[in-house]
Amino acid sequence: MWVFWAVIGRVGSSEAGRGSAEDARVDQDAVRRMARHDADALAELYDRYARAIYSFALHIVGEQADAEDVVQEVFAQAWTQAPRYEARRGAVAAWLLTMTRSRAIDRLRARRARPDAEPANEGQLRELVDPAALQDLGLLTRDQISRLRSAMARLPVMQRVVIEMAYFEGLTQSEIAERLEEPLGTVKTRVRLGLLKLREAMTESRI
Amino acid sequence: MSATHETVHEMSGLYVLDALTPAEVAEFEAHLAVCEACRAEVAALRPVAAGLARAVPQVEPPAHLRERVIRAATGTAVGGQGGASPDVRTSTPSVAPWLLAAASLVAAIALGWYSVQLRGRVTALEGSLQQALTQASLAEAQIADAQRTVLEAQSQVAVLAAPDLVRIDLMGQPNAPSTSARAFWSRSRGMVFTASNLPSLPAGRVYQLWVLTASGPPISVGLLQPDPTGGLTAAFQTPPDIPPPTQVAVSDEPSGGVPAPTGMIWVAGKPAA
Repeated sequence: MWVFWAVIGRVGSSEAGRGSAEDARVDQDAVRRMARHDADALAELYDRYARAIYSFALHIVGEQADAEDVVQEVFAQAWTQAPRYEARRGAVAAWLLTMTRSRAIDRLRARRARPDAEPANEGQLRELVDPAALQDLGLLTRDQISRLRSAMARLPVMQRVVIEMAYFEGLTQSEIAERLEEPLGTVKTRVRLGLLKLREAMTESRI
Repeated sequence: MSATHETVHEMSGLYVLDALTPAEVAEFEAHLAVCEACRAEVAALRPVAAGLARAVPQVEPPAHLRERVIRAATGTAVGGQGGASPDVRTSTPSVAPWLLAAASLVAAIALGWYSVQLRGRVTALEGSLQQALTQASLAEAQIADAQRTVLEAQSQVAVLAAPDLVRIDLMGQPNAPSTSARAFWSRSRGMVFTASNLPSLPAGRVYQLWVLTASGPPISVGLLQPDPTGGLTAAFQTPPDIPPPTQVAVSDEPSGGVPAPTGMIWVAGKPAA
């Protein structure tokens, strides 16, 4: 039955109802108001993105309680960093999801008992090198995301595995190579080929 | 350091997925500054990395989380859910009380007019509801399909990412010299089994996967369903209390499988020391 409500809910949601440029403007306006300590603006942002953030966090950490904590940390961080948010660095959705991955993987790493871990890599995972890395996110259509999802399922399993390990498990190439007992070069190649295939699937019928 | 262009170039995928160490990032960024092709590839791959965040199965957060998150971030409580309220409210709830008040005051004609209006509205709403239900059942089928695929993929990934992973390479036996297979086993997460060139079996026979241990009889892991080329990759649950495998083997058995192996062994192997 939840599917019914999900479908109904989506009719009025931002993804279906507005263009992405309009979404981006509304989001940025909310962040500006958050910088002026407007709690309603945070609530608006929560209503638009809590589902995407929670789902992403849950996929990484795998436990509901941890995923809830991640959502809380992300919005707390968004609230305190709102005054320093710069629109030109990327879409608000991208900013939130970057923080989500970072917080979720920190949690995963803290939980993971890895006696062989290098101390330098332990503890906090750095933020994405360039916050603009996800800047296209706001422009992805639901159709592209669904094509990406099915392309991911069709990838050769070892390509999919290395991508999942890197992105959702937060492992570095050396850690992946070690886990799979594969040479570093193989891991590198698989990640790149897999992503290129996903890119192709995502863009093939882009209008 | 002294990596060739080809090697550095290959790092683009790991770079957009944030799977490089700080030193590797520095190396790759130095290369990016001078390599137009790599810059273009990074730009092309970034939306894919971004899309992965949204391609995960969507799960509704619990309702209580909203209040908790907003209170924790801002130190204040905030009013009701933004999405649902203003537009939806204009219909029935505001009409009905007005209608009740009007009924006591105005003539039956007015009442009749309203009932026609309302009936039209109900019909229209029924239409939308029907449409929504149709969409929902379509979406449900798609979601179920997607979830199946994702669960399968997730279980494979979960096994392969397990900290207690053991790899077992299997060799084709004399009856299947070109067959090869590999099993990844984790006590906590199960087994991923991948094989290629399994010969096709006569009708009524299936491949069955077994774990042999130092004590006790062979344990059935499951039945294998190779594709037409004899290849497969599949994830299986294994009992958490089994002793470490001393050998993994595949035999052919009657359809439906058997509790203990009876048929010929096609591939078998032992864990690496």
